[in-house]
Amino acid sequence: MERQEIEKRVKEVVSRILGVDESIITPESRFVEDLGAESVQSLELVAAFEEEFGIEMEEDAALQVKTVGKAVDFINKYLK
Amino acid sequence: MGILNTLIQRTSSLDKSVILPESNDPRIIEAAVLLVEKSVAKPVLCGIPEEIMAAFEKCGKSCSGINIVDINDTELINEFAFLYQKQRPNVSEKVALRLVKKPLIFGGMMVASGRVDAMVAGAASTTADVIQAAALTAGYQKNISKASSFFIMEMPDSKIYFFADCAVNISPDSETLADIGIATASSFKKLMNEKPLVAFLSFSSKGSASHPDVEKVVKAVEIAKDKDPETAYDGEFQVDTAVSETVARKKLKEIGEVAGRANVLIFPDLDAGNIGYKITQYLAGAKAYGPVLQGFAKPVSDLSRGAKPEDIVAVAAITCLLS
Repeated sequence: MERQEIEKRVKEVVSRILGVDESIITPESRFVEDLGAESVQSLELVAAFEEEFGIEMEEDAALQVKTVGKAVDFINKYLK
Repeated sequence: MGILNTLIQRTSSLDKSVILPESNDPRIIEAAVLLVEKSVAKPVLCGIPEEIMAAFEKCGKSCSGINIVDINDTELINEFAFLYQKQRPNVSEKVALRLVKKPLIFGGMMVASGRVDAMVAGAASTTADVIQAAALTAGYQKNISKASSFFIMEMPDSKIYFFADCAVNISPDSETLADIGIATASSFKKLMNEKPLVAFLSFSSKGSASHPDVEKVVKAVEIAKDKDPETAYDGEFQVDTAVSETVARKKLKEIGEVAGRANVLIFPDLDAGNIGYKITQYLAGAKAYGPVLQGFAKPVSDLSRGAKPEDIVAVAAITCLLS
């Protein structure tokens, strides 16, 4: 899958789970500081990414990812 | 009889149930057996039944009296996913199905759905994981939007104080500090069957010093009183003003209901709270029980990673009383 396609789908998931407009999400956006994610939502984001891409991620490492761009990189590793 | 035995005895008379979702840990197996043997509460374990049974066999223990729930039970999983999604509509059905299969979330849903009275976890998970699971499933109690924790401090003369927050919130703002006060007052009422007298602590007593940190505490008192007018909150107080009537009479024009008689002490931040409880424990010879998590709509508490089976029984007894 192309990185651009992953990024598009990551943004869709983030927008749905966090209830923010997709247009404000950039690769540099930090989940907590910029997109207003509560810490409890991180588990939901990880589960939503797993469902979206049909992958199983290492949960502790996934929960350390802080920005949208890093999430794209992290998911990309599982899709290769 | 010490406070811990009193609380355990009270729980025993109430026929409560508690889920311990970390069933792959041998300490949990032993704690479940102890809960049955001492008739403290009905233990519920969740996981893969064959694996749990094998763990009992390995420990040489009987699982008689212990309710084992299959974490892959389709009917339960579907019900929990439905309930989860109802509470948190941003999550799709498929994502909810994925989440409720996680042991801590499954355990939380057992509590949220009313199947058990309480959940105790943390022997093999972090405090943050337990708080996250509780917040996503049980949610927060009325007027509260943050989890916190309290310690039961039993002084050498048997007097009991509740100290908070000594373990979770590092640098609480006024709103969070108010939440900590409200949650601790509620925990005190449930456990002690006594009126909580809640003092918000500072290095100042009623304006004796002026500083933004003092203002933070003053604002927290106002918020707590506003959100929960039935409970006695007061401050800002230095700790001597809070617990000594003699000092309170010297330092304050009017001492009110709380000053000098406080039984719940709310520390302004984690530095003060953590240092305060350890000083009381090590220099004053108090016994410290906790930290017990609080603030959730249904009781969920955490364990220290080094918890022994007896510690798990004690936390389970206290947590059940918070229901």
